[in-house]
Amino acid sequence: MSQNERYLLTRANIEGAHQIAVAEKHGAYAALRKVLKDGVPYSAVIDEVKKSGLRGRGGAGFSTGMKWTFMPDPVKDPRPRYLAVNADESEPGTCKDRVLMERDPHGFVEGVLLSAYAIRAQAAYIYVRGEYRLAHDRVAAAIAEARAKNLVGKNILGSDFSCEVHMHRGGGAYICGEETGLMESLEGKRGHPRPKPPFPAMYGLWGQPTTVNNVETVYNVPFIMERGSAWFAGLGTANSKGNFLCGISGHVNKPGVYEFTFGITAKEILEQHAGGVWKGRGLKAWFPGGSSCALLTGKDVDVVLDHDSLRARGSSLGTAAMVMIDDHTSMARVMEIIARFYDHESCGQCSQCREGTQWLSQIFHRIAQGKGQPDDVATLEALAKGMAPGKTICALSDAAAIPTLSAVRLFKDELLECVRQKRDPLAQPMPQYAVAGGHH
Amino acid sequence: MVKIIVNGREIEADPKKPLIKACHDSGVDVPMYCYHPGLEPVGSCRICQVEVKQGEAPGRVMVACRTQPAEGMVVDTESPKAHETRKECLEFLLKNHPLDCPICDKAGECDLQDYTYAEGQAAGRTHEERRELDKRKSLGDTIVLDQERCILCSRCVRFFEEVPKQAQLTVSDLGSRSVIATFMDRPLKGKYQGNIADLCPVGALTLKKFRFQARVWNLVKMASTCGECSRGCSTTVEVLRGADVKRVRPRENEAVNKFWMCDIGRFAFERHNRPGRMEGAALREGAKLVPHPVEEALTRLRDELMREKSAAWILSPWCTIEEGERAKALAARLGHQLCFISPEKNGEQDDLLHTGDPCPNRRGLSDLGIAGFEAAKALEAAKGAKLVVLLGERVVELLGAGEVARLDATRVAVHLVDEFALDVPCVKSVFGAANCVERVGTWANVDGVRGPISAVKAPPIGARSPAKLMDELVRLMPKLQEHAR
Repeated sequence: MSQNERYLLTRANIEGAHQIAVAEKHGAYAALRKVLKDGVPYSAVIDEVKKSGLRGRGGAGFSTGMKWTFMPDPVKDPRPRYLAVNADESEPGTCKDRVLMERDPHGFVEGVLLSAYAIRAQAAYIYVRGEYRLAHDRVAAAIAEARAKNLVGKNILGSDFSCEVHMHRGGGAYICGEETGLMESLEGKRGHPRPKPPFPAMYGLWGQPTTVNNVETVYNVPFIMERGSAWFAGLGTANSKGNFLCGISGHVNKPGVYEFTFGITAKEILEQHAGGVWKGRGLKAWFPGGSSCALLTGKDVDVVLDHDSLRARGSSLGTAAMVMIDDHTSMARVMEIIARFYDHESCGQCSQCREGTQWLSQIFHRIAQGKGQPDDVATLEALAKGMAPGKTICALSDAAAIPTLSAVRLFKDELLECVRQKRDPLAQPMPQYAVAGGHH
Repeated sequence: MVKIIVNGREIEADPKKPLIKACHDSGVDVPMYCYHPGLEPVGSCRICQVEVKQGEAPGRVMVACRTQPAEGMVVDTESPKAHETRKECLEFLLKNHPLDCPICDKAGECDLQDYTYAEGQAAGRTHEERRELDKRKSLGDTIVLDQERCILCSRCVRFFEEVPKQAQLTVSDLGSRSVIATFMDRPLKGKYQGNIADLCPVGALTLKKFRFQARVWNLVKMASTCGECSRGCSTTVEVLRGADVKRVRPRENEAVNKFWMCDIGRFAFERHNRPGRMEGAALREGAKLVPHPVEEALTRLRDELMREKSAAWILSPWCTIEEGERAKALAARLGHQLCFISPEKNGEQDDLLHTGDPCPNRRGLSDLGIAGFEAAKALEAAKGAKLVVLLGERVVELLGAGEVARLDATRVAVHLVDEFALDVPCVKSVFGAANCVERVGTWANVDGVRGPISAVKAPPIGARSPAKLMDELVRLMPKLQEHAR
């Protein structure tokens, strides 16, 4: 079991793999066929995934098998059950699910079907980010092709397993990627996250038992079922198993989506795969897993990119979307952009988040404009502490507060210097774009 | 029921109801904006943070409106952590709030103002301009929305969804750009709009009829009952400086109206403020009604009542149970006919509160055995009588002044106890009457639930309630009084 074993992007890198003939030639639906032909009990699928140690790839990193066990016993609770697949990937920096959906939609559909099988769902709803038109079209075409071969729909491959797969395109709201906001949106309502409890497994889509899984998570399932949990558990580190997709972006020479086995360091990814920081510059800071994670400094790039190692450094793996920031960059400007994003995307239900995200955005904007006030940095810290952790219905408030707290902790002097000099010493002329319907 | 400990005191709580309800029911104040006992809790304003300990786990601050009471739960609503969290939340809520309390109708009864005082954070940390939005957006004939004051608790949105079950409002746009809106700016419709002004925890939704009418601390408030239909919603009547009724609001009553009332009842108070009210008493002298001392008018009425056997009493449907009892006893002793005016259904009936029967005490008067007749029939029945007593507020309005005037003045003498005088030949005496915000008594609603009416203000000089008038008549009838004993 090599640390160089690759499987996530293998089929995706084959020309034409979005067509069922090519995909099947390269192993798509083999795991589904095997499970249905052998009559593997659904509980065995759950057990296998649980034993594999697969953790959700949507950011929270919760054990997938464990999540599936939260679904009520279908005998005791005969309500309809649903699988909702979160393909509303819109965290700044994250762009991994898109690759899977565009390049290997059949592998993805197979993962959806096996996951639905495991939780005994009659229907699966795929919530695709609105901007992902190609991904949507490819997956929709894949579902149609699969349906023609009796891989989707009633009595799949002659078994007693039936599952409809529906597609839904988002309208461009980040909050609809929050699992309960996603469900509200699927029901045709505003994407306002629901307070928990009740949890989706008891009260999900239309009030029925529902599991929400990420695209990459379900994509892993066929591989686990085909090659066994022992194979999967043999990949990676103690608590982070398997391979993961890492989208590296920002100031690097070769940005892109790469596949790695857990255990690789960020330094290796940056230097050996992404071609190092661009223009020969140094690494000032980086987000290890999307903009909702705490910032790390360039010194932390030696960290192993997995759940435990990043937590030990005060950050988190998130969606493993590394955003690299070079040493010519103003952190006030970086945080201005990040904070504006959360202000724009807060759903507005909770007071802390609605007002707090706007406030953070206004303060960072002021600092970046050289109009900061002496108390601004202290206010930023106090506000972020008032917004998190767990003070609101969903985690968007935390997602805005966490990078803010890390920026204030790591780059306090730089921010204060902007205030003191009444200008941002690292400010760079920004390219001017005409923005239609701009905010602020 | 489960046993929980709130601030060191053991209380019983319903595990199906939110923790905040258990706190409120046991007299513990927990702040709230989005939570309202009449609506489903959504847990969005985050102000009702309390510290909760369950088992051995350390205390956690959580919102009381989305926490279910569980056996053995230990709740501290006043812990430093709870206060800290609420204080933070208030700072966010005040970030864009205009702080125009001096010109805000809600000032004095505003939850945002009250909790801000309670938490005592006087200084703000904002350097930003506040949100500039529409400060007087009309939402139809009843309500004005001040978008700047709105804290987006969504009570108004949920009210229309959950109570009249006809969604009309929504939160439009996202995040800090959110505003309350109707679809395509259409005006609100239906007769339950006024409730959203009561529900609004700040001064964002105000009644057009109450805007800039009074500072709320100058209002005298008393419990009363709505008289616009036989539902008899429990109300609070609010009077400014002993003069005009400025506002009527629903009062919580689980058995009748929960927390709500309709706009017909809410705005009916305007008739109580009408000028030209009858004071004291007046007697007919030739062609004119001439003011006389009430004692004298009463004595004359007593004499006529005791002399005339062919007499009919017609009560207003606004007469209370107590007034009905007195009229019944008097009419029985004197051998007179007695009925009350039973107005026709007015077509306002709905599934929520309004019964369509504009007779607030039908049940109370009927239960006394008093017959109810429609206006025309009541007059028809009185035609054979030589003397008619019209008793109670709005009695002329219901019978029709023209109809009363058509009574033959040579055969029928009318004695009128009403809010307003009616100067037509058949009317021999008039007594100014107290209306339903000027006297005390009890009405029984359509289900037999009794509700009080209160004297929130004084009636015009010399005007009296029908009950008092009848008591005085009885005092002037010594024989009858003895007989009654």
